Amino acid sequence: MLKVNNLMVFFENALALNDFSMEVKEGQIVGVIGSNSAGKTTLMNTLSGLIVDMRIKEIRRGGERITLYGKILFRDEDITATGPSERVRKGIVLCRERHPIFPESDVFENLKIAGYLQKRSMVLEMIQYVFELFPALAQLKSRKAGFMSGGEQQMLAIGMALVARPTLLLLDEPLLGLSPMMQNLLVDAVKSLRAKAGITVLLSEQFARPVLPIIDFGYILENGMLTLTGTGEELMENPEVKAAYFGV
Amino acid sequence: MLLGTLIYGFVNSTILALVAMGFNLTFGISGVANFAYGATYIFSGFLVWILLNSLGVPYFFSVVIAVICAALLGFLIYYVVILRVKGLALSEVMATFGLGLAIMELFRYFDFVGFRYTLPVFFDGSISIGDVYIDYQRLAIALIAMALTLFIYLFTHHTRIGLAFRAIAQDERTALTFGINSDRIGALSMAFGSALAAVAAIVILPLGTIAVEGGYDVLINALAVCIVGGLGSTMGILVASVMIGFAQTFTANYLEPHWMMLVSLIAIAVVLVVKPSGLFSHQKELEERI
Ligand SMILES: Nc1ncnc2c1ncn2[C@@H]1O[C@H](COP(=O)(O)OP(=O)(O)OP(=O)(O)O)[C@@H](O)[C@H]1O
Ligand SMILES: [Mg+2]
Repeated sequence: MLKVNNLMVFFENALALNDFSMEVKEGQIVGVIGSNSAGKTTLMNTLSGLIVDMRIKEIRRGGERITLYGKILFRDEDITATGPSERVRKGIVLCRERHPIFPESDVFENLKIAGYLQKRSMVLEMIQYVFELFPALAQLKSRKAGFMSGGEQQMLAIGMALVARPTLLLLDEPLLGLSPMMQNLLVDAVKSLRAKAGITVLLSEQFARPVLPIIDFGYILENGMLTLTGTGEELMENPEVKAAYFGV
Repeated sequence: MLLGTLIYGFVNSTILALVAMGFNLTFGISGVANFAYGATYIFSGFLVWILLNSLGVPYFFSVVIAVICAALLGFLIYYVVILRVKGLALSEVMATFGLGLAIMELFRYFDFVGFRYTLPVFFDGSISIGDVYIDYQRLAIALIAMALTLFIYLFTHHTRIGLAFRAIAQDERTALTFGINSDRIGALSMAFGSALAAVAAIVILPLGTIAVEGGYDVLINALAVCIVGGLGSTMGILVASVMIGFAQTFTANYLEPHWMMLVSLIAIAVVLVVKPSGLFSHQKELEERI
């Protein structure tokens, strides 16, 4: 479904992603594991097309140069230079790190905004689906998103991504800063997305423990470079991974 | 005298709110301070005049055409000029201010000066409140200002484009992840703001003559209201309009009519020294920006 070939991303002269290749097959849950500043967000921004937009805006401002090499193929189509809104139309939707929500809007309005490209009736249907997936959100429908807890905001952020109707959902550190209980709830939600809605998921995390059990395939990223790949089980058995990524 | 000052102070406040509304909307959404705003106002006024008097177009169509042209002008300025320097605040201001200057001075160059440049009032006549006479046009201004405030609220909360406005105003990059195109929405916010300038011109200009200097006054008043209120905050705009509006009317009635613009200039200077973020910016943290 998604193929990344020899991706390189430079910010000015700093190399954020170095010759990175990966593949996501339809119906899989794939994980990218890496510690701080490994390049996870850079990868997610590149896959969602945000970096294309960042690049244009930096050029206008006359600032930092962002350079991109390599190829991204989605369903065998080259989308390396495609902008973010076109990618959302194709079904690639990113949920950014650190629960990105619109703080001054209430929960319902946040979800409506996320349905910008969808038909009105479809938006209402998807919002209903999100409320079934996260019943806690339904209770908070008219709460200003900025006043919600981190966990509630993360549920909302994922819900918003779902309203945009992804076929490939990108989750950047969805478990960051959440309690173990909340983490379990989200991990279960991701499993049900694949099982019930048939959504393919690519997620990134710092800590391997909560995600390795549910992923079909994983990539370990260090300083922008791929160091290890394998199925979830293979990675769980790997002593290096145990040492580096299981200290929660 | 006092009752009259209060009534005219209120009307003057609604005029200021009307004048500031479009400037504030564009800034709140796209972060662009449109210094061609006063020029758009004057452009719309002259355009209606030309359509009415030189081309004989009926009033209703003249007005509609002028509003649409103002919106197109704003949209074009955004795409052709602002986008190239977006993010460089100083360049944005220089570019829009320069363009505004050019538009306004072109009208002066082609001799659009004099008392014959007036727009028709909606209804002739006046009513009295106590022993104060107030013309229908000023009442219409107050009503239209209130109606537009309501309209903007409904538009930004209940339409697809309006919701995209609110999204871009709050977090541009997150808005992008839902397919909202920030350049297009920015240009639309500029078009919307410019259309509001045209509406303000059509409603307010019948009180006097259309003059190039009026464009500078409009820009200064819009800036004064937005700076005092805290750029981007709707509540701030309304409160600041009332404060400056009454201060101007009291100054005109009890001191010297020529000093009215001075009130706006002093308000800008004082607020920038004392609290540059605006008097009401503290309420903005978790509050509507548009
Ligand atoms: N806009 C930018 N400008 C310059 N350098 C950047 C930019 N964004 C990221 N980088 C650099 O790229 C590298 C990778 O950053 P990235 O944000 O992708 O890491 P990450 O894996 O998401 O880290 P974290 O776990 O902290 O979120 C870092 O060294 C970072 O400093
Ligand atoms: Mg990150």
